Formats: sequence, structure tokens, C-alpha cells
Amino acid sequence: MASISLTVNKKKYQIDADPEMPLLWAIRDLIGLKGTKFGCGMAQCGACTVHLDGEAVRSCVTLLGRADGQEIVTIEGISDNTSHPLQKAWIELQVPQCGYCQSGQIMSAAVLLRENPHPTDQDIDEAMMGNLCRCGTYTRIRKAIHRAAEIMNG
Amino acid sequence: MKTGQKIKRRDFIRIVALPGAALFIVGYLDIKNKAPQIVNLSASAPGARINAYVFIDSSAGITIYNHRPEMGQGTFESIPMIIAEELEVDIAKVNIMASPADRKLYGDQMVVGSSSISGNFELMRRIGAAAKETLITAASNRWHVLQGDCYANDATVIHRSTGKKLTYIELAEDASRLSPPQNPKLKDPKDFTIIGTSPPRKDIPSKTNGEAVFGLDCSVKGMLYASVERSPVFLGRLVSYDDSKAKAVKGVKYVLKTQRNVWGHRREGVAVLADTYWAAAQGRKALEVKWDNGDLESWSTKKIKEDYKKASAQDGVIFEEKGNFSKVYDSAPVKIEVSYETPYQAHVPMEPMNAIVYAKKDSCEYWGSTQNPNGFRSQLARQCGIAEDNVTIHYTYMGGAFGRRSLTDVAEEAADLSMKTGMPVQVVWTREDDLTQGPFRACSLNVCKGALDSEGNPIGLEHKVICQDIRNQTGDDDRATDGIAGGINTDYLIPNMVIKGVLRKLYIPISYWRSVYHSTNCFAHESFIDELAVAAKKDPLDFRLSLLKNHERYTALLKAIAEKTGWYRPPQKDTGKGVAIVERSETFVAAVAEIAAKDGNVSVMKITVAIDCGIVVNPDIIKFQTEGCVVMGLTAAYKSGLTIEKGRVVEQNFNNYAMMRINECPEIEVIVMKNSYDPSGGGEPGLPPVAPALTNAIFNLTGKRIRELPFNLDMV
Ligand code: FES
Ligand code: FES
Repeated sequence: MASISLTVNKKKYQIDADPEMPLLWAIRDLIGLKGTKFGCGMAQCGACTVHLDGEAVRSCVTLLGRADGQEIVTIEGISDNTSHPLQKAWIELQVPQCGYCQSGQIMSAAVLLRENPHPTDQDIDEAMMGNLCRCGTYTRIRKAIHRAAEIMNG
Repeated sequence: MKTGQKIKRRDFIRIVALPGAALFIVGYLDIKNKAPQIVNLSASAPGARINAYVFIDSSAGITIYNHRPEMGQGTFESIPMIIAEELEVDIAKVNIMASPADRKLYGDQMVVGSSSISGNFELMRRIGAAAKETLITAASNRWHVLQGDCYANDATVIHRSTGKKLTYIELAEDASRLSPPQNPKLKDPKDFTIIGTSPPRKDIPSKTNGEAVFGLDCSVKGMLYASVERSPVFLGRLVSYDDSKAKAVKGVKYVLKTQRNVWGHRREGVAVLADTYWAAAQGRKALEVKWDNGDLESWSTKKIKEDYKKASAQDGVIFEEKGNFSKVYDSAPVKIEVSYETPYQAHVPMEPMNAIVYAKKDSCEYWGSTQNPNGFRSQLARQCGIAEDNVTIHYTYMGGAFGRRSLTDVAEEAADLSMKTGMPVQVVWTREDDLTQGPFRACSLNVCKGALDSEGNPIGLEHKVICQDIRNQTGDDDRATDGIAGGINTDYLIPNMVIKGVLRKLYIPISYWRSVYHSTNCFAHESFIDELAVAAKKDPLDFRLSLLKNHERYTALLKAIAEKTGWYRPPQKDTGKGVAIVERSETFVAAVAEIAAKDGNVSVMKITVAIDCGIVVNPDIIKFQTEGCVVMGLTAAYKSGLTIEKGRVVEQNFNNYAMMRINECPEIEVIVMKNSYDPSGGGEPGLPPVAPALTNAIFNLTGKRIRELPFNLDMV
């Protein structure tokens, strides 16, 4: 057990927990933010993607101890009122089917667009390869990222 | 409604019940300003236990209850659209919520076989129309005018000659005291304004901001998390276990034996229960468990293939026969006999399996994602020894299902553990559990024989399916049911045809998987039709057209897809194309794959699918379901496949059970046919023709015939 301090979506948390616990379960079960999903537990599917100090990480393999003292953003904190350009584009193009993978998709795409406001299809493929969608929404995700870039760049 | 302001019960009116039952129940709902949620998981929230489809309330407006669980198939939107159409309300202004699980009120709510729209279209129209007529009656009573002089539009009843108006909200209380008509008049389809459109789906915003609640996201006060160790050889018997190390993990509360049933087979496990999921998972790793797997460890993919090959010599059961196949085959100038093989596949919905059950003395509650809320209710009632009325099912959005969530097995484990501990228990499966425990899509061997006459006309075809049968997995009956013959097209005008099946019974559990036997048989059948076309030296699309010349719908589809893909254009260098068709859930589908050779590899450029599912409620839903079918079909063709070694599944997670990823996803185009046939299925029919369209294209490009799935695209 250790005392770990995290900032999640701008709120500070002090958590007493096993530092070996993956960040995913701390976010979901200790902090109670359920938008970040469990899909594989071994960095294969991207459903658990969050931002750790601005970088997209797979929270299922990020140990809580490593996140100590750092800033985390989850899907719940990416915008107020579902107003992020990616969320708008996702709604406009009706991307989600079951929706389970989509938190992770959006979190990965958000880092891509921050680093590269005009991504090509190939840039998208490279940045989004780690995010599986069993429902098969890939063609819409591609279009929606382009659309979000358009919204962002006005 | 402002918070804190009490809603008077009388303000809420619930209209409409099942036709024939003529019941009205006064309802109560507090949902204004809330994002539409598929289920009201809060036990204290008003409205959680009302049964109905249409609610009208002075503060929340109009709410439609949807009785079909949502797994990504879109019925959360399309079912209320049908009701709203006849009710004459704007779908954009309607709230949608999930109905309770209640067979008495809603009939069977199970979402399988692409049946939600085909099975409910007429009924939902009548529900909407009956509600509308009742509101019109209420208005005409108030005004002392004839009903026929009034009409409804945009949630308002209007008196034709005077233009007087009353809104549904103003009429709701009166309407609630009237009996709804049993035979309401339905709209002329040409007047539809909602059916046939694609309004923004109401569940989408919550699926972009983390608000959507899936089974795994539920939690109940005092709940324990359980992770269960099970025999990797499915039917292994528990000999003993040492839980001392598991119990030493902080947070672990209990270690208990448990079991579940899968199609009549009892499957045992050892559960570790803890106050966090992480502690339960750690405790499980620390368990030492001994299994007696008997001689089941001798099974492997190789042994199964050998067994199937041997079994293919059996005559099997005849499912369908016309003419006399063996007679023409014996004397035919051209004969072909080939076999096709497909592997076991896992469903792997992105949300791993899970269930919360709280079994109390006289009641039981379930929280989770299920395709089969009524089946879960019955199972839990049986297991807890209580009446079904005392079981409450809180069904959530499903993070994918593909057939896996129709089975009650995970809820059985949770109920067993809840009864043993007296606590609410959430059983959480890992991805490894999902992949190694099944049940799976069955593997199969298909043996096809064909005969051509001297002009190259097909005169005989035999298709024999050798595989396990979902409906016959235990007991002594050794005959296959005709379920295993799905996806074999007997509409082809081949005068002598016979469809046969040979049953294999194995300890490996199988179940329904998106499009079921169509997903394996159609690969074999449509590959074989292609082989016959090649032998007959005919264009494969023309060959199919000529064999279906009396079939209006297939003909229209094939012509549409030929035009869209430029089928008859002279081929470009280093490209290939293939076609395949299927009927599934009364829907007709044609798929064309276009591929190209690039740097010595084959790459899939584009998949085009034309789908005819009769009257379309929401074209965009048909489109995205078909896009999903293409991705899942391609994945099963050349990415994923389960292998068995030492009686157990080799693939454990997405690292070796590979899924298609975004960089591998080709362009997909979906053509939704327009006609006035009765509505039919949309969720599965796009899948079966994808694999054979692709392998037929590969033959077209390379001359290499692929007869075994999955294949390695890089090695073609
Ligand atoms: S759950 Fe973390 S990558 Fe799959
Ligand atoms: S939308 Fe279902 S897994 Fe992506």
C-alpha cells in the first residue's frame, strides 16, 4: 500500500492503494470514472486509453505508482458539454455502434490532432492502429478525424 | 422539472399496451434534461419499473420505451422511430428509454437473428397508431365532435374544420382513461416521414463522452468483485485447490467453488471474491488448482480435422433434395469435388463478459449487458427458487455481443456466488477467459460435389456440412438438425441438388455467432459456385445471374452491384475482383471484393455490398451494420482463427487472436436497395458473402483457390 496523489480531469485525488495496481482500475473502481474501458489488459486494444501528462497511454498496463503526482485526463475530462471537435465529428458522422471502444478511440485521436492538425489517412492509420473496434467503425473513424481537423482549423 | 419540485402522479400518463391486452397503466417518469439513457439503473429513480411503450408527461414530454436491448445494432433508435411514425410525433423531440424486462408485457425481448425490425415492424406501428387514435378520441370527446373530423400532427390533435388544437400533453390524462383501439388504422407507407430516414441516433452523444453505461460499469453498494479460474479444457473436473496464497492477498474476502452450465454441460470453477477487481484478479493468480481433464487433453485442431475428414464418409442427414444428384453425378462429363474448412471463432465483444447478481431471500436483481433479458430473468428465478416476478433485470448497453450475450452462463456464476455470500457479486471475465472458455462459432468441413453437362451447364450439386450442431450438443441423438445447413443457396436453378449434414459431438462448447452457420457454409458454397463458373468458363457474376434468372431480388442486387463496381469494365493490370451472394434472415445480399497486387502482396482495396432488406426503417443503420459485417467478415477470413492444442485453446488475447485494425481496413461501400417487401434483417446478412467474395477475387487475380480459413493474406 502506498499513498498516491493524482490529478484527474483537474481534480486532485489522494489514493491509498497498491502501487502495482494498473491505473485503469484506480480510475474506474477507486475514483469511479467509468468512461475508461477494460478490453484486454495487455495494451492490445486501446479501450483504456487516457492522457498521462498529455501523452496517450494504455492505462491497463500503466502502474498506479508511475502516475503518482501526474496529470491525467480521461474521456470525461476532454471537454465540457461534449464540445471537443472530435466529439462533434463523432456525432455528426454517427461513428459509434456499441460504443465501447470509442472513449479510447477519441483519446488517441485527440493526441494525434494536437500534434498534427492536418493528418493524412496514413497518419491516422499510424496513430489509431492500437485501438481495436470489433464493431468495425474504422471507415467512419477515419472520416470523423478528418472532419474534426476541419472543425478545429475553422 | 426543477430539482426538488415534486411531480404529481397524475401528471404522468402512460398510454398503450400490447394489442389484444388492452391495458392502460398510469406511469411516472422523471427524465427531463437528462441525456437519454438506455436504462435507469438507479433503483430509487421514478419510472424504473413501469411497463409500457409510450409515456406522456407534462414536464418531460413524450417518452418511448424501447423493449429491445442495444448492442450496437441500432434498434435503440429504429424501434422508437416506428412507433413515432404512427404516433405522429417528431422523433427528435422524443425521449427514448429502455423498457423493463417483462415477457408478459413485451413478449420475447431477445435480440438475435437480426429479427428486431422484421419481428416488430407491424406491432410497433400498431402500438403507435393505437396511442394516436386514443389521443384523438380524447380530443373529440372534449370538443364534442366526431373523431373522423380530427387528425394528429406533431404531437397535437387538430379539429379539421375549426382548426382547434390540443397538444398530446393536454390530452394525456383523458386519454389514459380510455381503452385503446384493437385495430388502429395504419398509415399508407407513402406518407411515412420518419421511416426511411436516418435521424441522429440518441445514444451517440453518450458514447463519445463516457456517459453510456455498459454492464461492466455498473456497481452496487457493498458489491464484491469475482474472478474465476476455470479448467482450460472446458469439461475438466475440479480435483482440489489451495487457496492459502490467494486469501493472503489484501482485499480478498472469499474463495469459493462455483459452476455454470453451457448448453447442458456443467463447467466448474474456483472464484476469488474481493473488494476490488484488482485484488480478485491478484488472488486468482495466486490460486493453485488441480483439474482432472481426463483424455480430453488428447484433442487438437489436427485431431478434429482428421475426425471430420473421416466422418465426411458418412451419408449424414438429408436436409433438402431435388432431382437425383447421385445419378447425374455418376454419368456427368465434368465433375468436381472439393472441400472447404473453417475454424472455431470467438465472439470477442470489446466489453468482456460480466454480470452482477444480488440474490436475496425472496428477490433477485441483475445488472449487466444481455441480449436475452427474459431468458436471464427465467434462469435467475429458477436458480434462486423464486417467482419470475421477483427478479428484476437492469439491462444496460452492451459493449458488443455478436451472439455471446444470449447465454446466461456468466449470470449463473454471479447468482451462485451471490447466494453463497449473501452479497451482490460482479463476475468479471478477462479477455483470456473470453477466448479460452467460449462458447465459439463452430469449425466446419464442407464437402461439395458438382456436375456440369457438356455445354458447361451445372446439372448437379451436393453440399455436405460436417460440424457440431448448436442445437444438439449433449445426449445420444446423433442426427444433425437443419440449422447447420444455413447459408446454402438452394435458389440456384440446378436441377439435381442435395444438402446433407453429418453431426460431430465434441466437448468444445459452441454457440450462435453473427450469422451463425451462414458464416461458414456460405464461404464454402459461394466458393464452390465460383469453381463451377470457372469450370463452365463463364463470368462468375453472369453465371449466378443465369442460375437465378427467375429470382427478382437476387437479379436486381447482382445488376446493381455490377453497375456500382464497374464489373464489366476491362480489368486493370494487377487487380482482381470476386462476387458472392447470400440470403440471411430473409435479407438478400451481394458482395464484391476488389483487390490489387502490390509489391508481391495482395491488398484488399474495396468491398462493396448491396443489401436488400425490404422496407428500410433507417438506412444509415443498415449501412453501418453492413460496414461492421465487412470488417468482421474480413477478420474471420484472414486474421483470426482459434486453434486447439492439448484439449485447450491456444490463442489467449488480441496479441495472437488478431483483429482487423484501422490500417488494414479497406474502403467499404454499402448500397441499400429500395423496395416495398416486408422488412427483414440488417445486423448479420452482410457478413457471410464477404469471405468468399474475397477468396474469389484472389482466384481471379492469382489463380490460387483458397479453401481453408483463415488464410494469410501476405502469403497469397
Ligand atoms: S484494456 Fe488496455 S489496451 Fe486493452
Ligand atoms: S463501437 Fe463497438 S467496439 Fe467499437
